[in-house]
Amino acid sequence: MAENLLNSSPWTFPILEVTHIVSFAIAIGTVALVDFRLLGLAMLRQTPGRLTKDTGVWTVVGLSTAIFSGLLMYSTDPDKFYLNVSFLFKIACLLVAILFHYTVHRRVALSDSPGSRGKLAACVSIALWVAVVFGGIFIEFVKEGLSFS
Amino acid sequence: MLSLAIWLQQTGLMRALRESDRGYEILLSLHVSFIALFGATIAMSNLRLLGVAPRGYPVADIVDQLRVPKRIGFLCVATCGFLLFGMKAEEYYLNVFFRIKVLLFLTVAAHALIFRPPVYNRLSESAADSPLPARAKLAAGFSLVVWFGIVCAGRGIGYIHPPPFSHHF
Repeated sequence: MAENLLNSSPWTFPILEVTHIVSFAIAIGTVALVDFRLLGLAMLRQTPGRLTKDTGVWTVVGLSTAIFSGLLMYSTDPDKFYLNVSFLFKIACLLVAILFHYTVHRRVALSDSPGSRGKLAACVSIALWVAVVFGGIFIEFVKEGLSFS
Repeated sequence: MLSLAIWLQQTGLMRALRESDRGYEILLSLHVSFIALFGATIAMSNLRLLGVAPRGYPVADIVDQLRVPKRIGFLCVATCGFLLFGMKAEEYYLNVFFRIKVLLFLTVAAHALIFRPPVYNRLSESAADSPLPARAKLAAGFSLVVWFGIVCAGRGIGYIHPPPFSHHF
């Protein structure tokens, strides 16, 4: 079986991890800025719609880099990840978070008066992204995996 | 200093957290979640100062409005970080990446002392579309590099495994 080149240096994984952390911080952080605005907590001089448009590119870049670095990390030891309950939880939350962000969240943020719908969308958004982070961290600590035997 | 670290990790709170079922993992997850939620406040302030993004806003608008969330975020991240440290203070004290991280935090403090009065506190005086002085860009670039270093050092801490819960339990 071909050896994964990423496993040939001890530096690869830490570098990928740092890239992953910085990029998801940019992605989640820019979404959170819109969420804080929807909640009326920050960036009140801008509308949520304007913020969504202006931070959108950073969210996409952060998200793409986080997913790409995540896939590379996954490839270094797929066995460790794919049956790990926490990893599966993380991926499920990630898919829901992305779907929510580009549908409901975006529509509400771009609407003229998000109001309480905006606050609700912001809370759901923050909860989903925090769940993704918890899932990611717990991969290392949850040892029991799914078993099909 | 080592004896202080040992004292801290033997206080009731730290002992209770350490002996709890998932205390460390939950605090670590909260620590990283707060970094994710608030990290962009630092990145965006500095990127705007560098003229990278988001360009449509006056610099003062971004930096001033992000100041409070940035401080709240720092408080949340630092509180979790302190508890994580306190739970395993002896182990952390001996960890070279933790020491680098502390040095980088001192650098952040020095950065604030040096650059806050001439740069960050005077942004509202400059016109929205006037070019920023070189020292503002220097301050922003320096800040981004140091914070990136803090992320690297923070992640590095986990790569060093001293004897678990070393000598004084």
